[in-house]
Amino acid sequence: MRDISMILKSVWKSLFLFSAISVIAVSTVNAQDAKEGRTLFKAKCSSCHALDAKLVGPALTGVTDRHSEEFLLKWIPNSQALIASGNPEAVKLFNENGKVAMTAFPELDEAKVKDILAYIQEGEPKPAAGAEGAAGSASAKDEGTSGLSLAGIIAIVIVAIVILVILGRASKLLERLILQKQGIEMEEDVPLKVGVRKMFKNKKFVMFFILCLIIALGSFGWMGMWNTGVHTGYQPVQPIKFSHELHAGINQIDCQYCHNGAFKSKNATIPSLNVCMNCHKAVQARDKYDGEISPEIKKIYNALGYDPETQKYDESKSKPMEWVRVHNLPDFAYFNHSQHVVVAEDAIRKAKGLQPTEPVCFACHGPVNTMEEIYQYSPLTMKWCINCHKETDISGQKNNAFYAKVIEAHEKIKKGEKITPALLGGLECGKCHY
Amino acid sequence: MESNKKYWKGLEEYNNTPDFVKNNKNEFAEPLPIEDVLNEAGLSTVTPRRDFLKALGFGLGAVTLAACQTAPIHKSIPYLVKPEEVTPGIPNYYTSSFNGQSILVKTREGRPIKIEPNPNAGEFFRGTDARAQASVLDLYDVSKLKAPLLKNEETTWAKLDGFVKTELTKAQASGKKIRIVSSTVNSPSTNAVLAQFIAKYPAAKLVQYDAVSYTGIIQANQNSFGKAVLPKYNFDSADLILSFGADFLGTWISGEEFTAQYSKNRSYKSLESKKMSRHIHFESGMSLTGSNADTRVPVKLSEEGPALIALYNAVTGQSLPGGTLGNNTTADKVIKLAAKELLQNKGKALVVCGSNDVSTQILVNAINAAIGSYGTTIDLDNPCYLYAGNDAEFNGLVAEMSRGEVGAVLFLNSNPAYDYIDAKKFEAALKSVPAKISFADRADETASLCDAVAINHNYLESWGDANAYEGYYSIVQPTINPVFNSRQAEESLLVWADAPVKDYYQFVRSNWETKMLPALGLKWNDVLEKGVISIAPKAATAYTFTQSVAPVAASILNRSKSLAKDIELQVYENIPMRDGKNANNAFLQELPDPVSKVTWDNYVAIAPKYAETLKVKEFDVVTVKAANGYSIDLPVLIQPGQARGTASIALGYGRTKVGKAGNDVGKNAFPFVSFINGTMQYATSVTITPTGGYYELAQTQTHHSFEGRAVIKEATFKEYLKDPAAGNEKGEHKDYDLWDQYEKPGNNWVMAIDLNACTGCGSCVVACNVENNIPVVGRDEVRRRREMHWIRIDRYYSYETPEGDVTKEKEIANLEDLDHVSVVHQPMLCQHCDHAPCETVCPVLATVHSSDGLNHMAYNRCVGTRYCANNCPYKVRRFNWFNYWNDSRFDNYLNNEFTQLVLNPDVTARSRGVMEKCSMCIQRIQGGKLKAKLEKRPLKDGDIKMACQEACSANAIVFGDSNDPNSEVSKALRSERIYYVLEEINVKPGIGYMTKIRNTDTKVQA
Repeated sequence: MRDISMILKSVWKSLFLFSAISVIAVSTVNAQDAKEGRTLFKAKCSSCHALDAKLVGPALTGVTDRHSEEFLLKWIPNSQALIASGNPEAVKLFNENGKVAMTAFPELDEAKVKDILAYIQEGEPKPAAGAEGAAGSASAKDEGTSGLSLAGIIAIVIVAIVILVILGRASKLLERLILQKQGIEMEEDVPLKVGVRKMFKNKKFVMFFILCLIIALGSFGWMGMWNTGVHTGYQPVQPIKFSHELHAGINQIDCQYCHNGAFKSKNATIPSLNVCMNCHKAVQARDKYDGEISPEIKKIYNALGYDPETQKYDESKSKPMEWVRVHNLPDFAYFNHSQHVVVAEDAIRKAKGLQPTEPVCFACHGPVNTMEEIYQYSPLTMKWCINCHKETDISGQKNNAFYAKVIEAHEKIKKGEKITPALLGGLECGKCHY
Repeated sequence: MESNKKYWKGLEEYNNTPDFVKNNKNEFAEPLPIEDVLNEAGLSTVTPRRDFLKALGFGLGAVTLAACQTAPIHKSIPYLVKPEEVTPGIPNYYTSSFNGQSILVKTREGRPIKIEPNPNAGEFFRGTDARAQASVLDLYDVSKLKAPLLKNEETTWAKLDGFVKTELTKAQASGKKIRIVSSTVNSPSTNAVLAQFIAKYPAAKLVQYDAVSYTGIIQANQNSFGKAVLPKYNFDSADLILSFGADFLGTWISGEEFTAQYSKNRSYKSLESKKMSRHIHFESGMSLTGSNADTRVPVKLSEEGPALIALYNAVTGQSLPGGTLGNNTTADKVIKLAAKELLQNKGKALVVCGSNDVSTQILVNAINAAIGSYGTTIDLDNPCYLYAGNDAEFNGLVAEMSRGEVGAVLFLNSNPAYDYIDAKKFEAALKSVPAKISFADRADETASLCDAVAINHNYLESWGDANAYEGYYSIVQPTINPVFNSRQAEESLLVWADAPVKDYYQFVRSNWETKMLPALGLKWNDVLEKGVISIAPKAATAYTFTQSVAPVAASILNRSKSLAKDIELQVYENIPMRDGKNANNAFLQELPDPVSKVTWDNYVAIAPKYAETLKVKEFDVVTVKAANGYSIDLPVLIQPGQARGTASIALGYGRTKVGKAGNDVGKNAFPFVSFINGTMQYATSVTITPTGGYYELAQTQTHHSFEGRAVIKEATFKEYLKDPAAGNEKGEHKDYDLWDQYEKPGNNWVMAIDLNACTGCGSCVVACNVENNIPVVGRDEVRRRREMHWIRIDRYYSYETPEGDVTKEKEIANLEDLDHVSVVHQPMLCQHCDHAPCETVCPVLATVHSSDGLNHMAYNRCVGTRYCANNCPYKVRRFNWFNYWNDSRFDNYLNNEFTQLVLNPDVTARSRGVMEKCSMCIQRIQGGKLKAKLEKRPLKDGDIKMACQEACSANAIVFGDSNDPNSEVSKALRSERIYYVLEEINVKPGIGYMTKIRNTDTKVQA
């Protein structure tokens, strides 16, 4: 059952989160400066600098040993001014790092620079041990099938039968005890084996048993047939353990940033790796892997033939990234993302009751922002499509000049009826099958 | 009053042969093998128990496995670095040029999948021909070489360059000649490259050699007016057109452009303004143009010259000797009347001739000068550069080669080992050339004889430009990275010439930026965006003809006499194959010839009467033998309208080294071409002897018959002027509706087809094939009537007797005038009937009607009963007998991973056992609607265009929304000429046809 595994997963996650937070809290009790500095560092510096790795600018661990605090206090707010003033240390530093001018930060006063330096000196707070294990188990492959729910039903039925049998025997025992008390001796109870044999000679019972069997097998078959080719909950293992929860949930990255096709084209498009590199050139999650680049992020680099040390691309080493498609529509069904997320956005939002803060994508793809690994949320069956086309009220589309004309034409004939895609021909075969 | 003219598609229908009658009545064209199944092992043998259990076990296992819940693993591979302009799912369009015509190339995810005309290309370049449409398939052709060849082994470019440079230097040093043999080069950049190459190797020279040559016209213009050019013809300014064997709507010079010009004066718009041009055509074999003529007169090839002399005499009042036509009294009569009309239409008339004989063309020039064509219908000041080949020059080169004077020869876009008149002589001569280099994309007939094959890009992978007319330049830009390890020929030449700029893109760009763009004040990107640059044309001036025509006439008469010996054979280009360069294109091979409707073969076309004298029947194999000893065996096709005593064979067939689709299809007719009086002549005299063999041609003409129901309506222009509804009189009959009427509140998609504009050229058929992923089925399957084309062009023959209309079927059998037939072409596709008979018989509701007037076909719902096809009165439904894209029997088309890249991703590739038919390009309708929705605007008329409509140069197909009273199609459908095919059966079709109007004067009626 998808739900059970999801509950388990979220329980694990909250446990892990709780422990992680408590460890962080304990370790950072006395580092008021450094905590403030960390926030500032992430906001101002991290697009060009990392602690342990060279990005655009040099790695900063040990910067306080290499340079005096006095120098840094002048350098960080406005390095160009310092260079212009002819400070030999500044000029040397500028030349050593490929003469890339560092952005000026006039808003960083002395206290703030000191905070940042404190953070650099102290380094990234170490995460709780076992974090990796928890993350690993949470993202373990888990493929829920409808078979599980069926097993549950069968288990309940069996338990019910056992309870019934026990209750029956108990009531018989009680009856016998009462009769004994009244002085009436009852025949000794027949042994269980004989009882069962006797039971199977009872025609009514046999009839009842067979009926149950037919119903059970029939419903099993019926459900199996209906669910053939329906892959709700399908969650294949992807070549990169990409977390939508982290990207779309915690980091609040807009869906369009990566899936920009969804708003223009029929394909939502899996982002090309150069989109990943917009952030991951700098974001390497070294803090979680003892100063090493995250192995998952490394996969992006490997695919692109990118060398993080030299920051150069080598096209000859690049190889394609083979994702596994999660949402598989059959070839004969035409679906267009832009039609739904751009043209029909308001109608779908209303029909599915989405919050204004939630992207319209959630209507079919579910709460992507909580999915560690993506899975198929909706059944993607034709019935599911049709139901939505029958129920969604699209009278709000009148502000689109295209629909204004069409709806006007329809209203002339069907006065007062709810206007749905179905009314405008949205259920006709050729609208999706060609 | 319905027309009582009788139309028929083929002689078997006309003669009502028993086979034809049987086939027409049968539910299936082929008997189903039920008997075989029942009689043979099927029922008589007892299935052993073990086999039964095995089958049962396998069946159970298979079902269990199939029912397993494992989701299929589909890989989804994004770009590593996505180009900025590419959005998967959205097509990009790039300007380019095909054979000098500016086009748009539609690409999806970086793959070119469709060719569209470029709207900037100019008024008369609004369509594309079948070759351009089919050309996307050539890009993915697996018969091409994957790497350059050196001595028949794959090599690297560095090694090849080393070899070629050494050889060229050797040839230059030895004082021998270096020759570049190419079909006409009209690209300014290629010419600049050649100039650099020649600067490096001064012994080099370009020899332009066209497989089908126009040297005759060029030299005649040199002779008459001192200008060695092909003129620009303006068929749009001609009210009267006389053609002597020039197939100007099809293969002659620039067919699509001339079609657009021609239809301007014949389309429904022109007719509404009461104007229609008149076209008289003299020819021996039935060509596409002849089939569209108002009056077509069959003349023998040997009569063409005398006919022109007679016309000259009649127009100028002179009396040159030889202007008599012997027995051909009809032609004689027509010429006298035509001469009168020509004089009446001075300055508004045009005479063209398809002959490549200089003398004949000089005489045509004299006639055109006499009727004031120069400066009006013929423009010598803005000449056409599409053909500039010189026959004598190439002939001279062959002689030079055999004398050992040539040190190196390069073949660019030319294949003389196949298309030269004497391939054996050429091959022998080639042996004495030390270095032979070819730029072919495959090891074709010539390339396989060469030392090195520097494989060239397809045009869709190339940079370049073209200059089709004076002042009319178009750009060629690549739309895909090279599919194989090829290199553009121009780049190879630059490398071999050690040019300073070797990158051809840089070369083309700087060529434009330095030579052309500054004067126009344009930027390079403007050119790429527009695709075409037109410099204001010079004023066309009149030319006077001052030479004496007497010696010319004598030469014509001599030629005529030498032709009239035996059977006169005409070799010609047909629409699908042209000169055979694209013979490996399966789309073209399966495109039926517009007149004979034969696919996948060439044949000997002879007149019905003549077949009787020869004692041959249709498809009997005959030997055709020329005076030079060349002979081939080909099946006979009996062609109504063919001049008696003549035979016609199409060029472009009989390739041996072109690839899976084109190898050994038909026979090569190039050796029948002869070199006489300095030019290639496409008429010769032959003997024909039956061999007793039989070969069934894959001919589509009588498939999908209407069983003699009246589907064509026509009238003459005179009748039309009196009553626009002439020929379209509606009988009084009461309608009964079995079905409810449904409202179509949104859109109602309909179509109007102008039978007067449609020339039957077939580019719509190929455009539809490419757009809708229609499979090619091959010759055998076409013979079984299983071609898959969603749109077909029905060609009907008919004739009128001098006494009056033919009224009854029985009378027809006694008439003997199959020489003078008139032809109607009718595009036939799903009519999207409101009361569609197919819909009511489908047991699974796989075909249903939509609220916007379309007949939908849900492939995934179809179970293949084929009831719909049987119940369709228009016979437009097609059944998939095979998985054509995954079946080794169809290796010549889609059955490989490269060719499948040509498929349109917006259209399902249908599977075996499913019915299909024209969807009215529903993917385009939906796409157009979505575009409007995204832009929040109502749909405009013209937003959505059908693939067939877009390809049509004649503008014969109009599509649109009939709910919009101002749409083009609504206006067209209000025409009095509109009729619906089989409207009497009240299926309410959505496609209206406009009556065919012929501008015939009954007196000149042939």
